[in-house]
Amino acid sequence: MQCSYCEWRCELSADSHGVCRMYYADREEIKERFPNRWSYAVSRVESLPFYHAHPGSRSLTIGTTGCNFKCRYCSNAYIALQDPDTLSEHIYSMTPEELVGMAKKLNCHNIVFNVNEPTVSLPALLQLKEIAKKAALPMGCLTNAYGTEESTELLASIFDFINVGLKGFTSKFYREYIGVNKADPILRNIRRLAGIRHVEVTTPVIQDVNDCELEDLAGFLANIDPEIPWHIFRLLPEYEMKDAGYPSIEQISLALESARRKLSYVYFHNFVGSDWVNTACPECGMEVIERLSLGCGGDKLNYFHCHGNQCPRCGYGIKMYGGFIPPLKERMGTA
Amino acid sequence: MSLAIVDAREWQNLLDLRTGKKAQDERSQTLMLRGILRKHPYPGDVDILSNQWVTDTALDLIGAYDPQLVCVVYAHQYFAGRYTPMSEGRRIAMIENVFAEIERFINESGYTPVIVGSGDMVKLAGEIDLSKVDGLAISSHWSARYAGLHRASARDLDYVSSNPAIERVVRRDEWISLFPGTSYQADRIPEYLLVAREGWTFVTTGTPMRKSLRIPGESFWIPLSATLGEAATITEIRALIHANLGNEKVALIIVEGVGIHDFPIPYTPCGNKADWHYYEPGDGLYLTISTGTHQVFAHPSGYEYHDENDAKREYPLSGYFLDIPQHTLASDFPGKSIAVGNHSMFVHTIFGADICLECFARNLYNQGCLGVIHRFK
Repeated sequence: MQCSYCEWRCELSADSHGVCRMYYADREEIKERFPNRWSYAVSRVESLPFYHAHPGSRSLTIGTTGCNFKCRYCSNAYIALQDPDTLSEHIYSMTPEELVGMAKKLNCHNIVFNVNEPTVSLPALLQLKEIAKKAALPMGCLTNAYGTEESTELLASIFDFINVGLKGFTSKFYREYIGVNKADPILRNIRRLAGIRHVEVTTPVIQDVNDCELEDLAGFLANIDPEIPWHIFRLLPEYEMKDAGYPSIEQISLALESARRKLSYVYFHNFVGSDWVNTACPECGMEVIERLSLGCGGDKLNYFHCHGNQCPRCGYGIKMYGGFIPPLKERMGTA
Repeated sequence: MSLAIVDAREWQNLLDLRTGKKAQDERSQTLMLRGILRKHPYPGDVDILSNQWVTDTALDLIGAYDPQLVCVVYAHQYFAGRYTPMSEGRRIAMIENVFAEIERFINESGYTPVIVGSGDMVKLAGEIDLSKVDGLAISSHWSARYAGLHRASARDLDYVSSNPAIERVVRRDEWISLFPGTSYQADRIPEYLLVAREGWTFVTTGTPMRKSLRIPGESFWIPLSATLGEAATITEIRALIHANLGNEKVALIIVEGVGIHDFPIPYTPCGNKADWHYYEPGDGLYLTISTGTHQVFAHPSGYEYHDENDAKREYPLSGYFLDIPQHTLASDFPGKSIAVGNHSMFVHTIFGADICLECFARNLYNQGCLGVIHRFK
């Protein structure tokens, strides 16, 4: 039978597991090969990155195995692109209740799926959502948005805040570097998700490959909502592109000047000490959120000046999903 | 104020090390360090050129600054040995390669070396899954041998006490009695420290996602090679170096992932232990060598590190460290000092040298380099 989770629409059988290798067909039903096998860790939400959702919060980050993309520069290839059959022994077998219990034990404010692609594990995530909701834990994810229209609705029903990896603008780029034929479904799904959920977008930049698409990408996002936060990632080439050069920070920053006129929240990071991670009020220009980028060490919130999500100088509403979570010491009244 | 120069390849930023805020400084020492950072992009933890980067960078820094004390860390073989599949022949060649680098460093610099191996690596025998305990089990600092158990239930204690791969379950008071610590430090350590048998490691909160192939092995004794004299334990290495700095230019060289079994040059065994405890490669071992006193509780194994990782913390570029340790090997030495290393971002914290240069990499992701100036001389 045909899989309906992503736009590959693979033919599944008992022995045929599709591009992601995570599903099989059993009597006209699509089932997961490795349900409830998870990896987990603790992170700051800014590190994932979400700059405009639950600022200052602690996330239980989770993942499974497998992916429906084959990005030539994948930074998680050791888990996302390996045969899930060989990896399933190395990750935890945890029920949704146990995973939510772990989030509670670690004092996490939310759960974010961020290691691989959530579309390859939607049934388990749907179960997890039910338990997380009872525990009042919002869920977020990073996705490549290559789901079908049907599974995109499912994704939106599970996740409250979503960061879409929009890796390029043209089908040519997606064919050559991502291994899928067309960009259209991704653009379609971003339009849909941005209308019903909090959405941020991340674009890894490969110099001389997709930096020429930045202008089109910014225009596309601005057309949906000029306040969509856009994260430009300086690509650290891994996997098949390990020997590629690191993109020039100065050149990319220059190329983003025009995007900054179209979009209110443009960030450029994934390298230590970036100058482009703070949030300025779109109305008056005051810096209302200060952050520090630690590159691979994750980004962190330094100061949050817009309590109530409003600019303290002009009162403009800063785009934000959820409220600021103060540091632990302040919450405990010891600072 | 300590300055941090972040070098992300072809782009640098100058920050206040304590706050992470942008800083300005045009002094010659800063410009010199900027130039050396620019000249030596970091190849990556598991890149074969990683150790060569250490030698080349240290030699350039010596040429520019002329320090009396140099601290150098070679860690490529630890990272590659831990995660890269390799034959025994290739592993031995890798160790020969790092000692060839050390020899080149000594020959070209002319410094008197004090060489310490951080301990052997052994093949992974198995993993102890602690994800299902009722309490909270935490593994920190890539530790293989130790994990912390917090808020343990009776069922948890039964499980860990009867697990044949767990060598010992240490209560907090037993741990404290072994090493002197403050009440603040005692509050940070877990209720129980779990100690794995050699070859076994814990998988739980904090365990890196990459699967280890080899892990640090039993290292109650580690090799010390020094013509300056002997040190019976790692706490005596600092005094040995300080005693000779008036007459000699000394280089403390730490070689990670190499212990008594694989150390290819003459050495004496140096105690790396207290009772059942030995240091694994990491900040505890380094700080103990650097301060001359045991440093088990600075970042204790299995502590709830995530509770210290929020917006209010200082020294954001210094990994787990919430401040810069005092009374370290170089900070207590009035002469000039430098430190260079390729074991993550902690060289600038543990030695306290005037000028420090280290890779900025975490979980093997290479983000460039970090240069730190603690003092202008």
